[in-house]
Amino acid sequence: MRAPAHFAHRSIAAAAGITALTLLLAGCTPAAQQNTEPTAGGTLVYASGDAEPTCLDPHVGGNYPQALIATQYLESLVSKDADGQIIPWLATAWEPAEDGLSWKFQLRDDVTFTDGTPFNAEAVQANVEHLLDPATTSSTGYLALGKVASTDIVDEHTIRFNLSTPDSALLDSLSMPWVAIQSPTALARGMDVNCESPVGTGPFIVTDWKRQDSITLVRNDDYNSPPADAEHDGPAYLDEIVWRFIPDSASRFAALQSGQVDVIDNAQPSDIAAAEGQGITDLDAPRPGASNRIELNSGKAPFDDIRVREAFIRAADVNDGIEALFFGTADRSFSVLSSVETLGLSAEEHFGIDPDAANALLDEAGWTERDGDGYRVKNGQRLSVDFPVSTNQSIPAEQSLFEQIQAAVKQVGFEVRLKPMDLSSWYSTLIGNDYNLVSAPYTKVGPDVLRILYHSDSITPAPSGYFANLAQLNDPEVDALLTEASQVTDADERAALYAEVQELILSGFYALPLYDQQNHFLVGGNVSGLRAMPTVSTPTFYDAWLAR
Amino acid sequence: MTATIDTQTAQPGALSHAGTRVGARPTVGEVLAVTALLLLVVAAIAPWLLTPFDPLAISPREAFQVPSFTHWFGTDESGRDVFARMIYGTRPSLIIGVAATAIGLVLALILGMLAGLGPRPVDYAVTRVGEVLFALPGLLLALIFITITGPGVVTSTIAVGIATAPGYARIIRSQLRAVRDAPFIEAATVLGRSRFTILRRHTLPNAIAPVFVLATLGVGQAIVWAASLSYLGLGAEPPAAEWGAMLNAGRTYISTAWWLTVFPGLFIVLAAAASTALGRSLQARTRQVQS
Repeated sequence: MRAPAHFAHRSIAAAAGITALTLLLAGCTPAAQQNTEPTAGGTLVYASGDAEPTCLDPHVGGNYPQALIATQYLESLVSKDADGQIIPWLATAWEPAEDGLSWKFQLRDDVTFTDGTPFNAEAVQANVEHLLDPATTSSTGYLALGKVASTDIVDEHTIRFNLSTPDSALLDSLSMPWVAIQSPTALARGMDVNCESPVGTGPFIVTDWKRQDSITLVRNDDYNSPPADAEHDGPAYLDEIVWRFIPDSASRFAALQSGQVDVIDNAQPSDIAAAEGQGITDLDAPRPGASNRIELNSGKAPFDDIRVREAFIRAADVNDGIEALFFGTADRSFSVLSSVETLGLSAEEHFGIDPDAANALLDEAGWTERDGDGYRVKNGQRLSVDFPVSTNQSIPAEQSLFEQIQAAVKQVGFEVRLKPMDLSSWYSTLIGNDYNLVSAPYTKVGPDVLRILYHSDSITPAPSGYFANLAQLNDPEVDALLTEASQVTDADERAALYAEVQELILSGFYALPLYDQQNHFLVGGNVSGLRAMPTVSTPTFYDAWLAR
Repeated sequence: MTATIDTQTAQPGALSHAGTRVGARPTVGEVLAVTALLLLVVAAIAPWLLTPFDPLAISPREAFQVPSFTHWFGTDESGRDVFARMIYGTRPSLIIGVAATAIGLVLALILGMLAGLGPRPVDYAVTRVGEVLFALPGLLLALIFITITGPGVVTSTIAVGIATAPGYARIIRSQLRAVRDAPFIEAATVLGRSRFTILRRHTLPNAIAPVFVLATLGVGQAIVWAASLSYLGLGAEPPAAEWGAMLNAGRTYISTAWWLTVFPGLFIVLAAAASTALGRSLQARTRQVQS
């Protein structure tokens, strides 16, 4: 009884919101259009559907919700432009040594952290040490700096990174917010304090954190270090950002429609479609790294047989489902890498739908009998595959798509057992190897994500028990190519190696790519100048301004 | 002889004795409730009589169709017929409600009899434990149970059953206590009936009849609780059609496809309201008899 009452309340709120917005648009559209020059001032309200971070220092742990907010107050040594080229940020120039075993970075000499500490080589060294210190419990940042053995201070504004092996992904890694540079004075306060109020060089400053409610960021008036591709210089336009947490997607969208909030993240496909024509714009910023794909666990039966893997992929017709469920907001992917990765290989030829071929392959693989329910059987064993689904990570549309796959592959005799579960049960299911299919997003800048996802080293669990190679791809040829690609310095050679290894992965039917990791932000009509960082696709509010 | 007659009239065999009153002209509400429940029972037993569609047949190209003559309740995000899913979803939804109530009753009978008929220390222990359980809302008890055992239809049914048991147990205990000292029990004892016969023929029927009436009311509540658990993703697993799970799945599309939430919501309300209305009138009729 509780639930329907809740709905009634919500739909009334939504209806009221729509009405209010319609009146508002009717009243003042011309005025809003006149104002195209950025104006300073105002408070922007951002509503996030992600989990509230437990720590605002993205060195600790290192997940996407942390990156989203840290982008507003922390900055990295380098960034990327829209074409995927590395551009200067806190570092102005860099150069690898001849042997590729060390990199020298020239740093800006005019930047100060918002607590007054100067930004210099010493600060960068303190950050690297902080990231590599086990006490920090860094995961993403720690992995990104995996090949950094030590750093040397060459002079006050020059630092050298010493590597254990050449790292072609070093600049990609350093562009990520999980290795952003923080004030060494602030880091020295200890983890608890630094998690509450991290200090960086960014355009905003964390001033207040009301748990379970909101985080307040105010403008840094002394800001002078935008990345090379920013629209303007000097401080940000906005006075303040209120960063709220509204986990329920319908409430979040209703709040945007009613004008209570200005920007929302994790927009649902149906809401994106509904927002059209309401003066709300969709900022589509697919995440870098891997695409959203279903991994086929080749480490155990029945997917240890390539014929069974191919049969599954030939039967899993997803194109119409993606079109209907995502309302045209997501494009089908045929690559294990995100479409923003310039070295991604798209190989549609491996993913043609052909139920006859699938049936033939399963017959050939010995799954010849069928039981009363129409599922294939071999040696008394039903052709069943377990598919644990994290309801925290898969949006409802994606869960519906999985049900459609379940129905499609049933035609050729697969029984897919979908098991929706919470995040911690999901992790323990994966750690226990109790899965045949799984969809696990992974965000990282650059094609080196392939090494994390498909190198056999990643089958060995980390101390946490988690392993990233969920397809359990174990092929010496793939390993050799991935290791070589991560070390070569020549760009063309690197591209060729990554193309070759992706062809091996895709033609081995280890993964069914679906679409990019969806990352849609809906932006209210009064907000201008918002863009997503080309690094990990987090929005930056530095250039944003409010029309009032 | 007279003594025997006395005991019989005072018995809740009295229920059947007052047959003329129980069978009094039904009200409009009762007719509606019984009709609705009968339809739901048909849907649960033979859903194919009510709809030609397969509730699991996926057709992405026909997704999100508004209600029409073909698809009475429209289609869902995967192009499945919502009416067919509602009809086929009746069985799991009702079974969970009825089975959960049955589990609750059996548990309550055991606990209630231990407390009502057992020695004082047992009564004390059972009653205190019951009071502790009462401090927790029923749904919370169910959630705790599911956290321990893991989600699924079976566990959520048991969970709801366990959550309802303390309430019934308390009623059974107080009924047993009240009946134990009633004059007709004394009379039966005087007549030399064995303790077992008295328990079986006199004490239990008197004490338990009101609980069965209450249980009719409880089925409605159990359906809602079971739907709530499925709504939270703790009950039926996809692609099974179950009302609470359908309500949850449709929630995402509430601003664009109203039929995905309105119809499952209506069915839950209908089933709960019909069984509650029936329970209430049964309660009213038996109370008339007893007074």
